[in-house]
Amino acid sequence: MLSSLGNPRQAAAQLMNFGLILSTAFMLWKGLSVITDSPSPIVVVLSGSMEPAFQRGDLLLLWNRNLFSETSVGEIVVYNVKDKDIPIVHRVVRKFGSGPNAKLLTKGDNNLSDDTELYARGQDYLVRKDIIGSVQGFIPFVGYVTIMLAEHPWLKTVMLGIMGLVVVLQRE
Amino acid sequence: MAAAQEKITVYNVADLKNTSDDAIPNYLNSLKFTQSHRLTDVRLALGYSAFAVAAACFLWDYKLGFESTKWATAAAVAVYTVLNGALTFWLLAVEKGTVYVGRAPTGETVRIGTASERQAAKGQAPQYRVTVQVEAGAGAKGKAVAEKLVFTRSFAEWFDEAGNFVAPPFQSMLARAVPVVGKLDPKRVAAPPTEAEQKTLSATASQGKDAASSSSSSSYTPELLEALAKNLSGATAAEAASSSAEPGPTKKGGKRRKA
Repeated sequence: MLSSLGNPRQAAAQLMNFGLILSTAFMLWKGLSVITDSPSPIVVVLSGSMEPAFQRGDLLLLWNRNLFSETSVGEIVVYNVKDKDIPIVHRVVRKFGSGPNAKLLTKGDNNLSDDTELYARGQDYLVRKDIIGSVQGFIPFVGYVTIMLAEHPWLKTVMLGIMGLVVVLQRE
Repeated sequence: MAAAQEKITVYNVADLKNTSDDAIPNYLNSLKFTQSHRLTDVRLALGYSAFAVAAACFLWDYKLGFESTKWATAAAVAVYTVLNGALTFWLLAVEKGTVYVGRAPTGETVRIGTASERQAAKGQAPQYRVTVQVEAGAGAKGKAVAEKLVFTRSFAEWFDEAGNFVAPPFQSMLARAVPVVGKLDPKRVAAPPTEAEQKTLSATASQGKDAASSSSSSSYTPELLEALAKNLSGATAAEAASSSAEPGPTKKGGKRRKA
């Protein structure tokens, strides 16, 4: 089993198999990203601010192109607060103006007040550019894996290590 | 060959096949075949260039962010899809299970592909189907003549119950079934078949001619084997005497050597 790795071509081929699994997964993600025009086409709900529609741990599928109509009031959108990496999933409740510079105000369904406090200091509204996609569909509960990986980063290394071992040792 | 002593699980068909596949280059290269690595090299080139594209995409996305590199990423995804598709095509259509390509010292090109099969009847060992394509060297008689042999043998012939790979019966099987190899290794051809091999041979004989028909022109008759053995004993009497079996007893039901 392991002795077969003595042959350099074989070792290279098995390493390549493992590498291709990783790179195919990554390219699928990037492909989806390019198609939806969103830097993060799949996000996980991290808080309960959109209950009862979305629970913590739900997986959301995003679409970031305005092919048929502009982002309008009532749509559930995902945005990143300026300079923060946390995606926030809330509903658009007010819209002032139209076109790419229209001002949008968002609020979580389960929150008492709108998002003005969440925005960066001095920012009172969002524009279309801040939004990374609007929710087109969701898969409940699946996202909990991501939440666990995010809260316990060592899990990522363990998972990757196990995957690598399995692929390299099994030449199927 | 230190690998000859490695033990594997006899129930893992993939291991059986992989170990047998690994033994083919070892054996043939020891007979002075020159192995051609073209198939593997193309596969590695396609795979690693696809991986390189993905790695580059990862790097520029990490450094420069999504928005500014959108078009480059789209191009990278397209290129990656093409390369991966080409790799899959190469594996399925061109390589098609080939495990060895090489040139014999006598000039022929040999291409060996293998596949493992479950035995149809319960309780029997999985089978190893070997497809050999032999192309005579171009210089020999002008036109290159391609010959195709297909034969199926039970893994039990060269793996013992503990899972050890036993080289001699495996090599005998190849030497007997492929004349090009047999010419280069007459010792293996002349060695009497083991019990497991005899079981397979008698089973295929009783099934009729289907196993033999595809290789009828190149299978060995007992007379031919005896003649080869006589040749050997004429050349090196000491070797024939010291080889652990008596040459010539290929009659079924005749002198059977206890394994």
